[in-house]
Amino acid sequence: MVLELRNIEKSFGEKKVLTGVSFKAEGGKAFGLLGRNGAGKTTSIRILMDVFPANGGEVLIDGNPIDYNKIQIGYLPEERGLYPKKIIIDQLTYFAELKGMRRKEAVKAVDYWLERLGMTEYRNKRLDTLSKGNQQKIQLVTALAHDPDIVILDEPFSGLDPVNAILLKDVVKEQIQKGKIVLFSSHQMSYIEEFCDSIAILNAGKVALHGDLHEIKRNYFRNKLVVRTVNAEKIKADFGDSCSEAENGDLIIHLSDPDKKKSAMLRLVENYDIDEVKVFEPSLNDIFVEYAGDAVKED
Amino acid sequence: MKQFGTIFKFELKYYLKNKIFVGITLFLVVLIAAVMSLPRIAAIFESEELQDPDEEIIYDSTEDLSVMLLKTENSEYSDVILSAFSGEFEAFYNVQLTDESLPEIQEKILSDEAECAFVLMGLTSFKYYIETPSMYDMNVDSAIVAMRKIYQTVSLIEKGVSIEEAENIINVEISSEMYGVGAVEEEESLGEFDLLGNFLYTYIMIFALYMVILLYGQMVSTNVATEKSSRAMEVLVTSAKPTAMMFGKVLASCFAGFIQLAAVFGSALLFYGINKSYWGENEIIESLFNISPVLLVYMLVFFVLGFLIYAFLFGAIGSTATKLEDINTSTLPLTFLFIIAFVVVMTSMTSGSVDNTLMKVCSFVPFTSPMAMFTRIAMSTVPWYEIAISIAILVGSVVGIGVLSAKIYRVGVLLYGTTPKLSAILKAVWKA
Repeated sequence: MVLELRNIEKSFGEKKVLTGVSFKAEGGKAFGLLGRNGAGKTTSIRILMDVFPANGGEVLIDGNPIDYNKIQIGYLPEERGLYPKKIIIDQLTYFAELKGMRRKEAVKAVDYWLERLGMTEYRNKRLDTLSKGNQQKIQLVTALAHDPDIVILDEPFSGLDPVNAILLKDVVKEQIQKGKIVLFSSHQMSYIEEFCDSIAILNAGKVALHGDLHEIKRNYFRNKLVVRTVNAEKIKADFGDSCSEAENGDLIIHLSDPDKKKSAMLRLVENYDIDEVKVFEPSLNDIFVEYAGDAVKED
Repeated sequence: MKQFGTIFKFELKYYLKNKIFVGITLFLVVLIAAVMSLPRIAAIFESEELQDPDEEIIYDSTEDLSVMLLKTENSEYSDVILSAFSGEFEAFYNVQLTDESLPEIQEKILSDEAECAFVLMGLTSFKYYIETPSMYDMNVDSAIVAMRKIYQTVSLIEKGVSIEEAENIINVEISSEMYGVGAVEEEESLGEFDLLGNFLYTYIMIFALYMVILLYGQMVSTNVATEKSSRAMEVLVTSAKPTAMMFGKVLASCFAGFIQLAAVFGSALLFYGINKSYWGENEIIESLFNISPVLLVYMLVFFVLGFLIYAFLFGAIGSTATKLEDINTSTLPLTFLFIIAFVVVMTSMTSGSVDNTLMKVCSFVPFTSPMAMFTRIAMSTVPWYEIAISIAILVGSVVGIGVLSAKIYRVGVLLYGTTPKLSAILKAVWKA
């Protein structure tokens, strides 16, 4: 199953929020939707979920317009919250029923997930008696109980302790293995790197970068070398402005042309005491800062 | 439709499990039961008092009443004068003829020996003396009636009619019955028109509507705003259609309101049934429980429609508030609108002219018609087509406002921060 947003446009009043947003997410893989605050992630998600219509563009499943009666979507919003004063099992069953489940199925599914997340003991308690982390696990049940085809998780790891984070990772991996489309939105790049095969970076309502994460990294300008050495000072003096020092003490050598990397590597190995030299591979964080960073200046 | 059912059940459960809701309902049921049992309770006490055979109850009606002095120069017809004044005032005063001088009479009034005095000058003029004049003092009006009778009686006597005959002529008994032709329905128009009963139903229905709309309107509003402020809305809007949400919530509150009213009126009916013999010939109570079925149907129709139209708006307003504290201010214009409608209808009702132009206009405006049209139906004669038009406008408005509210809701629930202006919301609704 392939989910595709094609040329989505959206304005609120005079303000243009999304401009020609397009990306594809495949079943059995996780997709990362990145962007700074206000870049248009939540609006894209809401259009995808039919909370409000787009001014233009299409949401497609396998090339056909999405049928919300057939495709089930589970959503963990960034702004967490359910009914604080209501009994947990009552409200979770209610949400599952709203998603089209029969009452009996709903209770069964909710009980399964409460058990899976280690929350069975809170089944008949009021939500506001739980800790924040546990409330978040309860909220996760609303996203998963009705066994959706598309799972959208907005900042799923924020507020979870390491043990619960591992539990959630297992759940996410399981969802991916089941062939579902898992759509992540997060600022915690390490989690995106761990799960996502492809990403889209939104910047001020436009897709700044979209594609397979490995390919993005491979195609990233290969014009920097990372050097670990004991002759740092000498190299810095010899290479002048093209050499800088990273925080961890490694040297970064900027090449004027990626094709010069072989000759530069040879020059380093032959003339200095080098422990390691390699082409710089950017982290997702580096890519994010580069592509989503413009918005910083706009703010 | 399935979503609507799920939401309806969930919301109804919220009301029925709400301690305040249950508490108020139980309190009202018990209160009504107690009121309906009052005559029986009173009878128990009375019978206890009467059990003492030695105690003889002598009730002298004149002794408890305050004294009204009557001074006249006309000694020839003093009997006629006394009897006319006594006839007019016997329920309130012990009327006594006096020969005392004016200062003496005034002294008696000041010393509370007498409450007031009439000094007659001839048969067509009098002076009225009282310690402190009051706005509600109707004695002069009654005295005028008495004076007319005296004048008429004396005139007849002077023409040779005997005193008894003259008094019989003046005080001839007239029996009367009132018929409202065309009110409610044609079959009923020939029956006796129970104006007192209809006045009471109207009064009760309007008051019930007033209470229920303000109470439940606020509840719907708060309910929506709570979902928004707790962010449960984030999941809700992605799970259910706004129309299903709005209609589910509002109809559930309407149903809860009905359960409450049914409990209260059911309790009234039940305890009236149990204590019926003790109530005896109480006209008010009897006419209250003999409401005509047609009027009852109209009452239900206007009640439900009136409730819905306001509840939808309260829900829509709730969706635009970010904080619960904002609700009271946001709902103020709507509350005002409703109170104005209430005041217009109440004023017209008590003034007795329910068919004035304002009421006629109000009975077609959706926000006022539930109260205004029902009042006119119950207390006056309204052509069937006017009723039909009024109901049609109201039904159309309920559906229209329901859909509009759902749209406002969809736009409103996702707006956080300061409460947006109505124009901004409507613009967003229009564009969405």
